[in-house]
Amino acid sequence: MSSDTLSLKIEFGGGLELLFSNQRIHNISIPASVPLDNSITSADSIPPADVKQADVTFLMHYLRETLLTERPELFIDNGTVRPGILVLINDTDWELEGEGEYVLKDKDEIVFISTLHGG
Amino acid sequence: MSSCGNPQSTDADELMPRRLKFGRSRVCVRCRENPGNIVIRHAVYCRDCFSPLVTMKFRKALQPAINASAGTSKRPRLKAEGNLLMAFSGGLGSSVLLDIIHSTYFSGQPPVDEDGNPVGGKKHPRNASVWPSASVCYVEVCSAFPGMRDRTEEVRGAVEQYPSFEFVPLRVEDAFDKSWWEQVGGAPSAFQLSVDLGIGNLSLASASSTPPDLTPVESMRTYLASLPTPTAVSSAIQNLVRMLTLHAARSRGASHLLLGTSLTSLSIGLISSISQGGGYATREELQEEWTPSGFGSTETSRPISIVRPLRDVTMKECAAYAWWNDIKIVGRDKSARAIQGIANLTKDFIVGLEKDYPSTVSTIARTCAKLAPKDAPNGNCILCQRPVQHGIQEWKSRISIRSYADAKLALAAHTHPSSQCDPPAQPLDPMPSLTPRLCYSCHTTLTSRSSRGLKTTGHLPAPLPVWSKQSGQSEMRDAIADYLLDG
Repeated sequence: MSSDTLSLKIEFGGGLELLFSNQRIHNISIPASVPLDNSITSADSIPPADVKQADVTFLMHYLRETLLTERPELFIDNGTVRPGILVLINDTDWELEGEGEYVLKDKDEIVFISTLHGG
Repeated sequence: MSSCGNPQSTDADELMPRRLKFGRSRVCVRCRENPGNIVIRHAVYCRDCFSPLVTMKFRKALQPAINASAGTSKRPRLKAEGNLLMAFSGGLGSSVLLDIIHSTYFSGQPPVDEDGNPVGGKKHPRNASVWPSASVCYVEVCSAFPGMRDRTEEVRGAVEQYPSFEFVPLRVEDAFDKSWWEQVGGAPSAFQLSVDLGIGNLSLASASSTPPDLTPVESMRTYLASLPTPTAVSSAIQNLVRMLTLHAARSRGASHLLLGTSLTSLSIGLISSISQGGGYATREELQEEWTPSGFGSTETSRPISIVRPLRDVTMKECAAYAWWNDIKIVGRDKSARAIQGIANLTKDFIVGLEKDYPSTVSTIARTCAKLAPKDAPNGNCILCQRPVQHGIQEWKSRISIRSYADAKLALAAHTHPSSQCDPPAQPLDPMPSLTPRLCYSCHTTLTSRSSRGLKTTGHLPAPLPVWSKQSGQSEMRDAIADYLLDG
């Protein structure tokens, strides 16, 4: 199971793409099972009790470790996205989907939009 | 004995289930059919119902301010007295503003007859636009921040998507440019008004101590460098941009100036303004009408309504609207956001608050809307044109603690240089002070010192923006006439 991967489409908007090499769309693959502590090491060598299904919280950590190029504090704050960033999961507000606990599925589309660009 | 510290065990709190941010159902509260796509203040909306909801809030906030008098009609035809100017920063709110104004008031084609001409003729009232013309004003602030990129062309590209709008690019240094001032109808003036910010009572500088002719950029940088704190710099830039936009609106015969301030930005602006001493102008922060004075024609001196049509729409709603309607956001340079003043600290606080308590932000705006000043204003501030409260200096002198060193410095600066070496000579009359013509907030901006110590600028007089001459020209010119050199 842990060798299964999920293909995801990640999109950044509202200026957040500037933190990710100024690239708006990223197509990534992540493991379906991941460590409970959200580290990006392989879950194969970890006891089953310390493994979970990949969720949005893991995805945020994964993006911070692998794609973020500058100022991580503008993306993650206290283990979740920074206030002022709107997250859409398959075009739906992540608040309706359980926020960080939403278990990712293959071909999911996740959008992060910054609202902090003033009036 | 009870303690003020954290309780011994917080495990119980940690195990409490998190409260959902929406009601019981995930179905749209409006159509009650489609599954919801977004949560707005605990209510769930589907994508189809969401955009009409935003435009409805927008029109509800804007339309009562369009007609000067509605007459007896329940649904009066919308017709503004003058033109429209929209302030555009390239940010989220103003991008949404442009899009909604264009789609609601400027994209509709009137019905045409067989020959393709508008039914009833072009001049038929039904076919007339609400505003005869619409412009978009952008103020480039890169000269105020070293290393910041000029984004005027990017912004021009964004505005050109809307062919009905004329683009009006300005630069923040225009606030110190006499030729720009004359272009927008200001009275020509040979002298540059400067103020000595090094001493408490803000004496106007005499011609002899005024720096030689500076370019507008140098004048602006001298002005900003003389300000005592990062908060004052951020507030001064915001005020320069606001006044430039107001004068641009006036010079183009506008009756309405629209700002893209969302509910979240409005709450940030209100708390930030009040914390900087702007409490007396809280009503103006919400909605104001500015009547220019001292300008010739009636067209360029008619009152301008400053309206924030997105004042009931949160930043989250703006972001979702922009995303689902493919609105391009130019964004702001990060150097402008890097100033750690009160405004940015307030922004971090309110945005964090909105995430966990989404209704609190609207409570701030609704509570501030109930505030009213106790008494009538004593004229307008010459820097920001907002009302000045009566007796603020007396009040300030009663509550302020001034050091002996300040008083000595002020006395020394007000005394003619020769009088210091020659005690029997009579000191000259002190230079007139700017203080009585400033509102509490602008006075605080210019004088409130950082707890980390006073900035040392060598007491160079700071040039003031060009409109400050117009506001207090006659009285000040009389007062400082003896000190002026012919320019």
